[in-house]
Amino acid sequence: MAEAMADSYSQDSEPTTRTLLRRVLDTADTRTPQRRRSAGIGAQKSLLETPSSRRLSSSTKTNARRRSQRARSIGRLAHVQTSGHLEEQTPRTLLKNILLTAPESSIMMPESVVKPVPTPQVVQSSRQESIRGSLELQLPELEPPTTLALGLLAPGRRKRKLRLSVFQQGIDQGLPLSQEPCGNTSASSLTSSLNLTFATPLQPQSVHRPGLARRPPTRRAVDVGAFLQDLQDTSLALASPGNSLRTPVATLPTDTVLEDTQPFSQPLVGHSPSVYHSLPCLSYTEAKDAEKAVSHRTQRSGPKLQNHSPVKPAQLLAGKSKKVDALAMSFPNTSSAIAGEDEVEPLQGGVGENAEERMEESLSVSEVKDTTGTQGSVRTDKSDRNETSEAVEAKEPEGSSGDENISGRTASPELASSTTEFLQARQLQFLESAPPPSTAILSSEPLEPLPTRLPPRARTLGPRPRQDPHKTGLNHYVKLFSFYAKMPMEKKALEMVEKCLDKYFQHLCDDLEVFAAHAGRKTVRPEDLELLMRRQGLVNDQVSLHVLVERHLPLEYRQLLIPCAFSGNTVFPAQ
Amino acid sequence: MAPSTTVSQRKKIKRKAPRGFLKRVFKRQKPHLRLETSGDLLVHLNCLLFVQRLAEESRMSAFENKCGVIKKEHVQAAAKVKSDLLYLSKN
Repeated sequence: MAEAMADSYSQDSEPTTRTLLRRVLDTADTRTPQRRRSAGIGAQKSLLETPSSRRLSSSTKTNARRRSQRARSIGRLAHVQTSGHLEEQTPRTLLKNILLTAPESSIMMPESVVKPVPTPQVVQSSRQESIRGSLELQLPELEPPTTLALGLLAPGRRKRKLRLSVFQQGIDQGLPLSQEPCGNTSASSLTSSLNLTFATPLQPQSVHRPGLARRPPTRRAVDVGAFLQDLQDTSLALASPGNSLRTPVATLPTDTVLEDTQPFSQPLVGHSPSVYHSLPCLSYTEAKDAEKAVSHRTQRSGPKLQNHSPVKPAQLLAGKSKKVDALAMSFPNTSSAIAGEDEVEPLQGGVGENAEERMEESLSVSEVKDTTGTQGSVRTDKSDRNETSEAVEAKEPEGSSGDENISGRTASPELASSTTEFLQARQLQFLESAPPPSTAILSSEPLEPLPTRLPPRARTLGPRPRQDPHKTGLNHYVKLFSFYAKMPMEKKALEMVEKCLDKYFQHLCDDLEVFAAHAGRKTVRPEDLELLMRRQGLVNDQVSLHVLVERHLPLEYRQLLIPCAFSGNTVFPAQ
Repeated sequence: MAPSTTVSQRKKIKRKAPRGFLKRVFKRQKPHLRLETSGDLLVHLNCLLFVQRLAEESRMSAFENKCGVIKKEHVQAAAKVKSDLLYLSKN
């Protein structure tokens, strides 16, 4: 019988391990009353629909045969079965899982293996039959299905790669059992085929893992300085046109890097080694600058260490030439920003930088600060450069810048300390870096507007805002006004709102005084407030004060205002 | 709930009542009077409602002028319209 079945199996459908397993599973499902009936492979699809797939009657081999035929179609059903039987962790369920999880492709693999399987299947089937009795308790259904499965492994669907491990375990457990009934060869073939099938599904699982793995973010060493600077810039962001100038400077380093293609790149190259020397200084200064948010130079130097310094002077010069006019406007900002400069550094450098920066970067906020920092640094650099006799042009703007610098210095004394260090570093840089590729810089400027934000210039804290407490309190309500309005408002409108609030408060206090006096009290109590609101029309018979309190006040205030009963027969607030 | 409590806020609006500020204002105005603790919060509530109404009026006046921005004139007009309710004399 088994042999016949086996033969039939081989005939019916692909004698793949999957089909075999299917059968096993199907037969295992004999618990379900329904029996699958499959006319043939063609009926598999119909079988799929029929829930009868579950209905394997292990008793009838014909059924098993049909099951095998339907194994494929039933594979899916078996899947259902397996799911149901998962808990049991029977070999059958394991096999089912295997069938489900085993990829379709794997079916092909075992074909070669399957073929020999059917032959052993016959033997196995015989064995199974013999063993059925022994294993009946454990795998009553498994035996016939195994025999069937041996014959035909429904390709079924290969879903559920997840259960492979479980299945493998189960297989290990179950197969030994099934092997007896199924025959070692068949089982081994099954397992081998199954193992083969497992291989494929395992891979995708492992493949998925890398996706979950977290890769360490690649960091550029240079970014730290720029990052710090950016942080400072954002914190000290100052909106000023000068900042725009500064930002271009930050892009200088990138420009310098790109300048290789520029005509003036050569001199930069020459300076690059010198720049490197200055780099360590720059790095140090950068750190300081970052801390002090002074130099946008650090920004420039930081991210663009390489050619930053050389670029700057060059750029400065270039910027100067181009944007002296433009810089004139920004200069006041920058000069004021610098403020801390020690000497009348060649403002030109700063101007040039500004110009360059402007060209390069489009930073707006922190630019002012940057400019101040850069100017300070620029000045030092400029001074060096002048010494190097390259700052011929710079001298002219120096004079102008000098005046501005003076004014600027007073502005930000803080920057001085930071700038000094920075300047020192700069000096090294600038000494080496001649302002050669001014034109190159200009051309390179448009290349990359560095997003590096120049360190925002230290805000000069003016005097404590007068009317501070009063104004801030009023501003609180003004903000609420703008929030409730939900529309953009002009500054003048907000000022008008402030006036209204002032008047409102005055009237409020007067009314409260009247009410308290009317009640013969000198203390304004909540009842007076309620009366006030009633008069205003906010509180009426329909809307009580408590309702308003609940609507508009946060919970903490609500608890304070509305008496509520608490445990212990207490009411808070006490009335 | 009133719309104010449910409107999505992009800006952070502190819901805290500037109690110190209110107390100070009251003290400045009426030094001979005392304000109770709870009264402080109710004054804040009153201010909230006042501001709300004023804003609403301003919005309406801005809409009437078909303006997308609230201007000073709108606020003034709103204050005039509701001067009685809002304790405002014409500014």
